[in-house]
Amino acid sequence: MFLCMIGRAVTRRKRKFLMTAGTVALGISLATAMLNVMLDVGDKVNQALRTYGANITVEPRGAALLGDLYGIGEGEGVADKFLLEAELPRIKTIFWAFNIVDFTPYLDVQAEAEGIGKVTLLGTWFARRLDIPTGESVDAGIINLKSWWDVQGPWLKDDDADGVMVGGLTADRYNIRIGDRIRVEVEDRTGEKRGTELTVRSLFHSGDKEDGVLLAPLAVVQRLSGLEGRVRRIEVSALTTPENDLARRAAQNPNSLSRHEWEIWYCTAYASAIAFQIEEVLTESRAKPVLQVAASEGAVLQKTSLLMLLLTVLSLACSALAVAGLVTAGVMERSTEIGLLKALGAGDWEIVLLILTETLASALVGGAVGYVAGLGLAQVIGQSVFGAAVSAKGLVIPLVALLVLAVAAGGSLPACRMLLRLRPAEVLHGR
Amino acid sequence: MKNILELHDVSMVYGSVTALRNITLSIRQGEWTAIMGSSGSGKTTLMNVVGCMNKPTHGTVILDGEKISRLNAKELTAIRRDRIGLIFQEFHLISYLTAVENVMLAQYYHSMADEEEALQALERVGLGHRAGHLPRQLSGGEQQRLCIARALINHPKLILADEPTGNLDESNQAAVLEIFHKLHDAGSTIIVVTHSPEVAEHAERIVQLEFGRMVRDGAPARPMVA
Amino acid sequence: MNRRKMYAKMVFCSMLRRRSRLALALTAVIIGATVVLGMGAVYFDIPRQMGREFRSYGANLVLVPAGANAALSPRELRKAEELLPADKLVGMTPLRYETLYYSKQGLTALGVDMDAARKTGPYRQVHGAWPEADNQVLVGTDIAENARLYAGTSIVLEAVPPRGRRIKKEFTVSGILRTGGPEDAFVLMPARALEALLGSPGRADAAEISLAADSGEITRLAEQIRDEIPGIAPRPVKRIMRSEATVLNKLRILVCLVTVVVLLLTMVCVGTGMMTVVMERRKEIGLKKALGAEKRSIIGEFAGEGVVLACAGALLGSCTGYVFAQVVSMSVFGREVSLPVFLVGLTLCASLLVTLTASFFPVSRAAEVEPATALRGE
Repeated sequence: MFLCMIGRAVTRRKRKFLMTAGTVALGISLATAMLNVMLDVGDKVNQALRTYGANITVEPRGAALLGDLYGIGEGEGVADKFLLEAELPRIKTIFWAFNIVDFTPYLDVQAEAEGIGKVTLLGTWFARRLDIPTGESVDAGIINLKSWWDVQGPWLKDDDADGVMVGGLTADRYNIRIGDRIRVEVEDRTGEKRGTELTVRSLFHSGDKEDGVLLAPLAVVQRLSGLEGRVRRIEVSALTTPENDLARRAAQNPNSLSRHEWEIWYCTAYASAIAFQIEEVLTESRAKPVLQVAASEGAVLQKTSLLMLLLTVLSLACSALAVAGLVTAGVMERSTEIGLLKALGAGDWEIVLLILTETLASALVGGAVGYVAGLGLAQVIGQSVFGAAVSAKGLVIPLVALLVLAVAAGGSLPACRMLLRLRPAEVLHGR
Repeated sequence: MKNILELHDVSMVYGSVTALRNITLSIRQGEWTAIMGSSGSGKTTLMNVVGCMNKPTHGTVILDGEKISRLNAKELTAIRRDRIGLIFQEFHLISYLTAVENVMLAQYYHSMADEEEALQALERVGLGHRAGHLPRQLSGGEQQRLCIARALINHPKLILADEPTGNLDESNQAAVLEIFHKLHDAGSTIIVVTHSPEVAEHAERIVQLEFGRMVRDGAPARPMVA
Repeated sequence: MNRRKMYAKMVFCSMLRRRSRLALALTAVIIGATVVLGMGAVYFDIPRQMGREFRSYGANLVLVPAGANAALSPRELRKAEELLPADKLVGMTPLRYETLYYSKQGLTALGVDMDAARKTGPYRQVHGAWPEADNQVLVGTDIAENARLYAGTSIVLEAVPPRGRRIKKEFTVSGILRTGGPEDAFVLMPARALEALLGSPGRADAAEISLAADSGEITRLAEQIRDEIPGIAPRPVKRIMRSEATVLNKLRILVCLVTVVVLLLTMVCVGTGMMTVVMERRKEIGLKKALGAEKRSIIGEFAGEGVVLACAGALLGSCTGYVFAQVVSMSVFGREVSLPVFLVGLTLCASLLVTLTASFFPVSRAAEVEPATALRGE
């Protein structure tokens, strides 16, 4: 009889049933979409942050830094230490290989250029296709790494033996245009001078220290300087996890960690862990996370995730409350019917059970529909914001199921309490 | 005396059910008419047609010289407001307004809400002391008397009561009928729809309906009981 | 009693004496208003807040000497600082690079104002403490590793001025600096200490500026400085501006989309909630019609209730929404949220719109039904 009543209630009061199911579906689709987006937003923002450029630099161990901040100051004391170009593909074989977005080597030499004088000639990869030991092939090079550069003209090709790109500052100062030919001479280690004539293929503005250099394919610079197979520095761009205490302690001194902590650190995509793994595969190398990039990425990532978490909580709470309110309204509407049932001798429990079952039935139907709709909604958000699909996380399903139960129970119980307090006579007389 | 209500050949069809068949009826001003019939005989339908709450599917209804069967919904509303006082079996009071406010509601839609006048109307039906109570605090008889007060407040040309005593016990029924007598003596035109011969006997004229047809029209069988 | 008073009485009695239903409808409106205001405030505040967060990247504008100018003078720097809006300036640090010697080996010493350097470079990690006195220095981690220096050890630095004899001075290493960048090979010392050592007046080779502003504004400010101070060449740090713009834009679109979706769904929920509450009152509408109420005045009464409900809901919702935005802002960014006043207006409008449309349709449909049918209650 109980089932029969529920069945009848569902089929005869189709509109009401659909309305409850519909509102639950709306709320749940919102919850599903928000939860999915929230769980995926970290990865997506991390991708977007890659425009920051490299967050790990690799240098030969023991080399004094020839550095300048923001292109200021003269570097001096170049140590005679190098990394091996042949080892570079190994970077894509480390534990966190999939998190390595891009990398590029650099070799800088002092050159004497005709009409310019002393200038830094910087060799790098542009878009080199690499066959890595695992049998796959990947692209690496400066083109993807420096996505913010303004380049007038085409990027160089790696096999372009007599092309050069000129930094904006140098080009402005010496009035260099695309198509000009520049004769460059480099003193190699034995003191012998080797020269070649290069054609300016394009100009670039980086807004950074590279604006003062001549940029050429790595092979050209190696040949001129007699440093075949050598590179001075590697920039790596990797997707990383924001640093925490453990990561900072590991960065100070990896030996201070316990074995267990060390394993956690090694198997988490901290910038310092990835740097450590790069050191393992490149001989005599020293990889350092660029804190300026890593710290700021970490901050932005954490804030974004927290922001999304709070927004999700708000929308979950709101949809739960709104749906619960609707369910309550729907139940209260039936006071006459409940009054009649009570007059016929229905016990409190039977009434509560009846209402709960009915609400739950419609909530489950609505929840299922809402989950599917929410996945669609998450895709719409993912595509329009990040241009990438949001992956459906399995964790969302139990959360959503819990929410459906909570909404159904939370929505009908207060109404039930009210209905139970009704006296059948009053209800039936419509007072 | 002139006719306040004339029905010519009025029929009402709901889908495949014919609720009224070719009713022709005229009621004079000041007359107290009872419309009788068992459940489903069409008496409530007739009342709804006369009370401008439904339009007949066929035939003409003339109320106080106006052919209301030709009017649109808005004009019907105006007629209902100005010329008809409705009394329902289920009272239909607004639960969140007090007794006096329920009376004032009718005034408000008619013209002006006047608390003095509304209180007087309550006084007349013997509810002066309960003016500030909500409907759920009133007994059934009190609710019905409140309903009557509300129906009378705008001095309607015609008072329409649908089973006014259907939900009341005997003493309350007597009180309500007494009010009707007073109204009748004061010259009001009253139509009472009822299935109870006891109530109908108080009227001057009884119209009997069966399956939507008028089967009897005349004075009560027995002499009127005062 | 006049008509207006009776109208007001009906509206308020209907709300006050039907408390449980009122509570339902009011909750719905409050939820809607909370979402509008809370999400709105967060949405409008994100660029500002996130902009501040991006400042942990450090400088996004660098000043270097221009033309014949070999260094930046304090006067020029002050002039430049005056051109920058004070409320958006996170910090400005003049940098002075000099070569000093430590046990006969040359190294780069960077003279800065330590407090300013912490503001413009929050990414600089120090193991130990930041220098507080003029005889304390920070040593880059590369140097520290090579020379086996720790926080607390002392080092003797030697300056060789162009003319004159070598000057030696002993300093205490207050901490080891780690940035992962070139500064790892520098000695960071208080600008005054460097000046005292070299005996030359205050000047800077560059200045790093951290501005909480978008790329358009930074470019504009840079041009202004270039035009007004001939000795300075401002250089916006392009990669920072670019990635800030990208990420901020994405975040903005994300929050905007989420806000719109949440808003739409909440409005639908609130709308349906209102509709159920109104639908329940079909009998009342029927009775009012039977009493001779015109459709217009019935709609007017419900609209009156709707307006009161919407206003009360919007007001309460604005409060809860503000609290929500404040909680988000404090816990995510650790700063107070700024509330644009027009948002409160927007919240009110949205509440009114939803409440009125949600009640208009069921009411006008109920008022359309012949009173006899409505009273019968089916």
